[in-house]
Amino acid sequence: MNGIVRERRLLNIWILRVSIVLCALLIAIGLAIFFTHGGAHIPATPSGSLRRIMHTAAHASLGLHASAFLDAAIVVLLLTPVARLLVGIYVSARVRDWLYVAIGMLVVALVITGVIAGQSGM
Amino acid sequence: MSASLMVMVILFGGIAAGLVGSLTGLGGGMIIVPLLTLAFHLPIPEAVGISLFGVIATSTGAAPRFVGTGLSNVRAALFLQIAASSGALIGALVAHHLPARLLFALFGIVLGYSAIMSFRPQHSDVAGAPESSPLAQRLRLGSRYQQAGQWVEYRVVGVMPGFGIMIGAGFLSALLGIGSGAFKVLAMDRIMKLPFRVSTATSNFMIGITAATSAGFYLSHGDIPPVIAGAIILGVIVGAYVGGHLVRMLPVATLRKLFAVVLLLVALQMLLKGLFNL
Repeated sequence: MNGIVRERRLLNIWILRVSIVLCALLIAIGLAIFFTHGGAHIPATPSGSLRRIMHTAAHASLGLHASAFLDAAIVVLLLTPVARLLVGIYVSARVRDWLYVAIGMLVVALVITGVIAGQSGM
Repeated sequence: MSASLMVMVILFGGIAAGLVGSLTGLGGGMIIVPLLTLAFHLPIPEAVGISLFGVIATSTGAAPRFVGTGLSNVRAALFLQIAASSGALIGALVAHHLPARLLFALFGIVLGYSAIMSFRPQHSDVAGAPESSPLAQRLRLGSRYQQAGQWVEYRVVGVMPGFGIMIGAGFLSALLGIGSGAFKVLAMDRIMKLPFRVSTATSNFMIGITAATSAGFYLSHGDIPPVIAGAIILGVIVGAYVGGHLVRMLPVATLRKLFAVVLLLVALQMLLKGLFNL
């Protein structure tokens, strides 16, 4: 049991550190590009699925657009609590606590529903 | 004001939000939404969506303080998260159909309540309930944590009332762009009788997931301008980091009360905007 607790702690710390550093780095690059290009235009994030947003960001990054890095940072940040939730589900699965695996999966489904409901323009 | 200058000011606003959040425990969203709506006249759905990302950044920045302490009750968090995320989903849906003035007025009321609550004395850390309720036993919500080398066992009651308050906390979080931490702790600490430290650690875990449920809605709905959101998020990360180091050097209790007075004034301004469009 102690091994699982330690594993959970290490996974969570790794997720938190990587996501915060990656997020801050991507935003710093994005804002640096924004300011060096004169900062006249505030771009908009395209509405739609996360896949579409990341696809647009990938294309925009080739043209060194600020929005590409900023959108990527926003998605990284959005996925951080979800990753922590997945760690909780993983730990529950390791100790065969299937009730809490099911509860965790239900919460993941609610988060995904939020994204789908948003892109449908409800 | 040029776009560059506006983004710089917003970046400093984010730093202030992160600082205040980490020093006083009052959510950064309480600053971000009034800053973006009253000072920069952003539409309230955009301000709320951006603020939710600020809330995730604050919760992520504060999380290492709780990870590995053994205080967070993962089972309680997962179970109550069904309620908080459901409320958040409803809140995000409703927010896009309510008049802006109603949202301003509601924000003013919730902000005022949070400010007044911060004048109340801090809670003791006593495990309250003598025995877990049948539902809490079935869900195995009771647990234990270590304090000064001793294991403290605690029991849980009031599961369904706590669940109900969590729906409301999630709803308000998505509607107003706040973490609703005060309401989550209220449900766990006062109603479910979890020890205060356990409630705070569990609430930190939940705030991020609740905000992510509605932030995903706002993002895919096209409400998040990346430059403004980026400035807020980076500001919050920097502010929370600096605040985390200053917290032992500054008179936090006094700061908390001073900041609560400022929040009361902001609450009044939001309320006036909602009621009389001032």
